[in-house]
Amino acid sequence: MVQSTLALGVEAVGCAAFDAGIKGAFGYPGTPSTEGFEAVELLIHGAQDGRVAQWAANEKVAYDLAMGMSYSGFRALVTMKHVGLNVAMDAYANSALTGVRGGLVLLVADDPGMHSSQNEQDSRRLAEFAWLPCLEPSTVQECYDFTLRAFELSEALQVPVMLRIVTRLAHCRAALARRAALAPAGLGPVPASAIQDWVLIPANARRRYVDLLEKQPRLMAEATPLNRLVPGSARRGVALSGMGRAYFGQLLHENPALADLPRLEIAAYPVDPGLEQAFLAQVDEVVVFEEDYPVLEERLGLRGTAKVRGRLDGALPRTGELTPRLLKGALGLEAPAGKAAAALELPIRGPRFCDGCGHVDAYEALQEALAQVGAPETRVFGDIGCYTLAAQEPMAAIHAVVEMGASISMAVGAALAGQTPSVAVIGDSTFGHSGLPALLTAADAGVNVTVMILDNRVVGMTGQQPSQALDQVERMVRGMGLQEDQLQVLLPVPRQHDANVAAVAAALRHPGLSVVVFRRECIQSIRRGVLKDHDRQERERCTTEVCS
Amino acid sequence: MNVPRIHGIVLSGVGGQGVLSLAQILLEALRRSGLHALQSEIHGMSQRGGSVHAQVCYSEIPLTSPILDEGGADLLVALEPLEALRYVSMLRMNGHLVVAEEPQMDMAGYPPLDDVYAALKTVRGAHLVDTEDLARRLNHRQAGGMALLGMASKFLPVADAVWHEVIAQRFEAKGARVTEKNLEAFEAGRGLIHDPVGA
Repeated sequence: MVQSTLALGVEAVGCAAFDAGIKGAFGYPGTPSTEGFEAVELLIHGAQDGRVAQWAANEKVAYDLAMGMSYSGFRALVTMKHVGLNVAMDAYANSALTGVRGGLVLLVADDPGMHSSQNEQDSRRLAEFAWLPCLEPSTVQECYDFTLRAFELSEALQVPVMLRIVTRLAHCRAALARRAALAPAGLGPVPASAIQDWVLIPANARRRYVDLLEKQPRLMAEATPLNRLVPGSARRGVALSGMGRAYFGQLLHENPALADLPRLEIAAYPVDPGLEQAFLAQVDEVVVFEEDYPVLEERLGLRGTAKVRGRLDGALPRTGELTPRLLKGALGLEAPAGKAAAALELPIRGPRFCDGCGHVDAYEALQEALAQVGAPETRVFGDIGCYTLAAQEPMAAIHAVVEMGASISMAVGAALAGQTPSVAVIGDSTFGHSGLPALLTAADAGVNVTVMILDNRVVGMTGQQPSQALDQVERMVRGMGLQEDQLQVLLPVPRQHDANVAAVAAALRHPGLSVVVFRRECIQSIRRGVLKDHDRQERERCTTEVCS
Repeated sequence: MNVPRIHGIVLSGVGGQGVLSLAQILLEALRRSGLHALQSEIHGMSQRGGSVHAQVCYSEIPLTSPILDEGGADLLVALEPLEALRYVSMLRMNGHLVVAEEPQMDMAGYPPLDDVYAALKTVRGAHLVDTEDLARRLNHRQAGGMALLGMASKFLPVADAVWHEVIAQRFEAKGARVTEKNLEAFEAGRGLIHDPVGA
């Protein structure tokens, strides 16, 4: 132990990646994964030893960057949230076939309970899907220790390793003991003898898929030491993974009698069926505590030797986060009564637009323009970001929010079905993430679509990281072959309101594709001076060079 | 068998009020007092003015669960009166509540303020502080948070010196004057709790 500090679980992963000697970290922001990247970025900037920390345009690009680094022989970390892994799915699933050279760890932060996400998907299923190992820590220290282990495993097994954490652990702050940091050590690029492994033409891919499946027993053998069976005298047992392990461990301190329950404690996947069999032989009934999907529950249920209880049989709710109270309920433990809740009705205090946010001006202009062109009931396709807050009453300015980039493609789809005008609203970072290919399709589709790009120059929602599309949005749009009359750049401030309404109305009336960029920096990022250095450098550059 | 108890603090307020900063100060102070401590926060949307809450658990035994059960908190520290009411059922029967009276009413359907105060006053162990008045008296706009921490400190096993050290470190970067103002607010808060029954 060289250093003890306080850290969030997700930060512990970032610290461990640095200490494991990664050459680079890549990611796309998304709660609750963001601080993992930020922790390693801080360490890398402090070290000034040639390592890189780079936000990517999206999660697939981040994953590819990490793969390129691994190909050249260095360790790399790639971070994202669970829905981000869907975006990286192509790269991720195929990386199981290529394998890795330098160790590659994927930090994926799931969000059971959907504190700030569109769905509740369980990334353990995607580890199983890609035939890759997954480590699941349950404490801040395990976040650190398992990450170090994941890099070792990745190089020993020559596959990427997933590290899955959930919101409660990602945003749990506790003492963390760190080891001395290793410097990045390059293994050299993929050797000539293995180049074909990385060329996934069908002939090679078929061979590599067989190799991957043949590797499974070894993956299981390597995972097994992290999993354990704790015997007990009762005929009822518990199977625990992730936060289930953390919550049960705590209950055990409070109720030492629970030690009678045999426990199957899982921290790594794939799980050895022999271990499950040995556990099931000791019990007639088992309650499964795991976060999100009934992954273990289904596996144990299939063996058919004991009654398996959990999310599938209603012992626990089918959706939402695991809590200590739910564990107590399922185990029949008494929960202490607290003070009586207030008799008053307490309305929800939801998030809202910051005072003075330019998005509000943009939406007001849109709503008035839609009324002006006689289409006030138009369903507007929205996207993922701060501007999603407009879906709430009383503004209710967007009427669909599905996934990054979907606003543009859905608006095109609706236009192809005959809706006119068809309107999409997207942020600058989301535009760079997944809106670009969608706009290319929109430019080609020849239908009446108005795309509003709300450009606040940062990834506002997740903490004002600089946008990859910073100050490039119009150039990108023009690059799609748009003419001058199809593109307008507006300033979303109250004094421009009438002019903005007229400009948006003109765009709505324009028969083909039109793009309206509303640009005003996020007021949070202005306050924090996030882009101050960037803007100063730009100004200095412009005094010495001819600027367009 | 005498198992050391797990203690819990719930902190609540509105995004931007400093709930998470207070939680971190508490975590650090408890840790420096030789206790095992964990903090949990839900902060995805907190910057956008929604409800925000954090929990701090501490004990003599190692902890693995970052969240408390209902009825499992010894102390509720609330920076806003309505946000206090949301978490009253988290408190043990003999738990304490320290709460700022100053409301953040920029939301739909905020109940009449008198009803909110009346509901708070029915909670046994509630200590309300007029943070607006305190801020005026101390000539320190953001005195409320530190005053609440001072009040909370009366119920926590942390020595005065440790509190001062942690607060001083927290504000170090902002200069001696800011540190002094915050220590002053902390002490003012401490002075508001005379008889910490059940602490």
